[in-house]
Amino acid sequence: MTLRRIEYELAGCAGPWLLRLQEWQKARARAHRPRKPGPFGPPLECTRKLKELMSLHYLQGRYADGAVPVAWVTSGFPVELLRPLGFHTLYPENHAAMCGVQRLTTGLSEAIEREGWSRDLCSYARTDLGCVATGRTPAGRLPRPDLLACCTNICQTVLFWYRALAAHFGVPLVVIDTPFVYGELKPHQLQYVRDQLEEAVAVAEKVAGRKLERGELAEVTRLSKEGARLWGDCLAMGKSRPAPWTGFDGFFHMAPIVALRGSEECNAYYRTLLDELRERARRGIGGIRDEKHRLLWDNLPIWFAVRELSTLLAERGFNFACTSYTNAWAEAGANVDPADPIGSAARAYTHIILNQDLRNRLSILQRLARDYACDGAVLHSDRSCKPYSIGQVDLRERLAHELGIHVLLLEADHNDPRAWSAEAAETRLSAFMESFA
Amino acid sequence: MRLVHIQQQRQLHGRRALAVLPVHYPKELLTAFNVLAVEMWGPPGPPRGEDAGRLQPYVCAVARNALAFLASGGADAVDGVLFPHTCDSLQGLATLVPDFGGWTRAAFVFQHARDAGRPSARAFALAELRSLARGLEAWTGRTLTDERLLWALRLHEEIDACRAALLDGRKNSSLGDRELYRLLRRGEWLWPEAHLAELRAARAAMAAEPVQRGLPVLVTGYVPEPPALLDALERAGLTIAADDYAAIGRRVVRWRGAGDPWPWLAQRMLSHPPCPTQSADQGARMRWLQELAQRSGARGVIVHVQKFCEPELFDVPAIRRALPLPSLVLEGELEAELPAQAVTRIEAFAEMLRAGARAA
Repeated sequence: MTLRRIEYELAGCAGPWLLRLQEWQKARARAHRPRKPGPFGPPLECTRKLKELMSLHYLQGRYADGAVPVAWVTSGFPVELLRPLGFHTLYPENHAAMCGVQRLTTGLSEAIEREGWSRDLCSYARTDLGCVATGRTPAGRLPRPDLLACCTNICQTVLFWYRALAAHFGVPLVVIDTPFVYGELKPHQLQYVRDQLEEAVAVAEKVAGRKLERGELAEVTRLSKEGARLWGDCLAMGKSRPAPWTGFDGFFHMAPIVALRGSEECNAYYRTLLDELRERARRGIGGIRDEKHRLLWDNLPIWFAVRELSTLLAERGFNFACTSYTNAWAEAGANVDPADPIGSAARAYTHIILNQDLRNRLSILQRLARDYACDGAVLHSDRSCKPYSIGQVDLRERLAHELGIHVLLLEADHNDPRAWSAEAAETRLSAFMESFA
Repeated sequence: MRLVHIQQQRQLHGRRALAVLPVHYPKELLTAFNVLAVEMWGPPGPPRGEDAGRLQPYVCAVARNALAFLASGGADAVDGVLFPHTCDSLQGLATLVPDFGGWTRAAFVFQHARDAGRPSARAFALAELRSLARGLEAWTGRTLTDERLLWALRLHEEIDACRAALLDGRKNSSLGDRELYRLLRRGEWLWPEAHLAELRAARAAMAAEPVQRGLPVLVTGYVPEPPALLDALERAGLTIAADDYAAIGRRVVRWRGAGDPWPWLAQRMLSHPPCPTQSADQGARMRWLQELAQRSGARGVIVHVQKFCEPELFDVPAIRRALPLPSLVLEGELEAELPAQAVTRIEAFAEMLRAGARAA
């Protein structure tokens, strides 16, 4: 235990230097390669810091089990409860996205499909279960969880996924079940979430072996709220013309608000990013060189094809000025309140975009399209995310008719390249872009 | 037949009808309000009308067919719809249809308490039932008394007792699988008292001695559709000795209540056999299946799931690990007819089981 703790702390202290050395070596190697002019603006300086921050998180994670309590957590779980108890948190969705970007999902998924897992299940879940089954991960090693924490505000899938993880690891699973909000949340439904949060605290305290200090909870909640505000401010920079970054950049830069929410490192990162975005906006530097059209993206990204999609669009002057997915992290966290951490978390985490009816979803998309002056939208019909995708056929019609913008429904999967046809997507996107002429 | 029954119930007893989507819902409450529940498991077959296209093809047939059915006027004989919160797809349907078109009459939602062992879940189940009751009161114009709810609870307990006796006593029933499932599934739309009369008669007709049948198998899955599946099993020399269909066995509550009707009703909602749609603990579900297999003497397991049904699909590997029996996974899409490939696979599975039985 003591040795593990020393390793964990050392990883935290020495990690940044090692990562910087690694980055320096890579930069040196890159320096000899000629840089091709592309359709994008100069890369964000912060990207290097982002890599460093997230790599350090995963590096420390390698030594976390046995050193500190470890929780595997869904992205929508009120993590503010766990941080003051000293948990190292791992986000399987974030890790799965990392695998998706590196195109590892097919191999990981096939490994568990051989055990009887269906290919029709969420590809995040299959990626994660594949990592658990094979031990393969781009992070080197994932810490074994002492606690599993899942919240149904993003989908019911996480419930089934985490049940399977609980059966595999034999560790406690805390579930925060957020009733779906049709119109208004009823008082007994809010009370239910509140009660569950208190129950979750009791389980987490037992696992961590210490009591939750309410003052610390208030402080983490304050940090979380501030982080969400900073992230929202970064996203809002997309309203500038040209947008100083792309919506696809946002998909990558959202990692800290997902995985490190409620920590000072997260907030410090977004302060730096915000400064850089402001400076770019001031100097008229765009995420793409020649921004002619501004688009809204709905749903998760197609992680394995982000680069090819963004290049295809950017070459013709199309930029994603905003995305409903990244926006969700700004809206939910902004509503937590350090004066009432549990009650406000119950309300905030129940009212996220995916846990509300389609009328609300439509109004969010309309607001984003208007605020960011979008003249088109791409709705990613994501085979692996039913709660996000159900209703998109109607949403497409309504957005097109009510806002008079061009809307495309693009079939794909957020992590599994086997459900993706690059040629068909290129044809559809090309036709979509031509419709703006 | 359903249409005639709905009309008769309205004319003779002044009963409103409520279409109900799968799986679990407080039928006792509807009965107490004198409302006829008519369940919509799809319906099977190709979707009726164009509205199925409003859902992507990777959404399960239950949701797509239900959308098309509702939007095409197929359910116009009923007065309202109840959407239980079973999964992401039905959750989505519950906002898509009333908010963006397809159903203009009354729409109710019933949200389940997940992880039922917790005090919060018990309190929520009770509060959600009372909330639904308030909605039904406003809709029907009836006031619900404790006596009426107690009557409904006792009625449904007896129905469950009969269903449990028929399922547990398969060896002694002269009914074939097709007849038994036809009888059990009539409960999806018959007024409960009429259904109870049929169940009592079938229970009384059970033989004292076991009736000779095919090789016993355990079936788990969503819904026994199409019914031709049951014929195919019989022709292949198999018989369903244990049932864990969400539509059938997983809705039989064996717990008996008493006292205050509201906590009794809430506890009934939390006392189904372990069901993934209610987020039952996976270990508890596997133990339940092991017990079913052991008690019934099943020689094999058939996992009969609907394509894209995540609650069921997530448990398939665990079922195969937990039950030390040969298994066959059949995936359907709520077809009206059983595909020939499925028949072939059932026949091959039966041959394998027979070979195993001979070797033993």
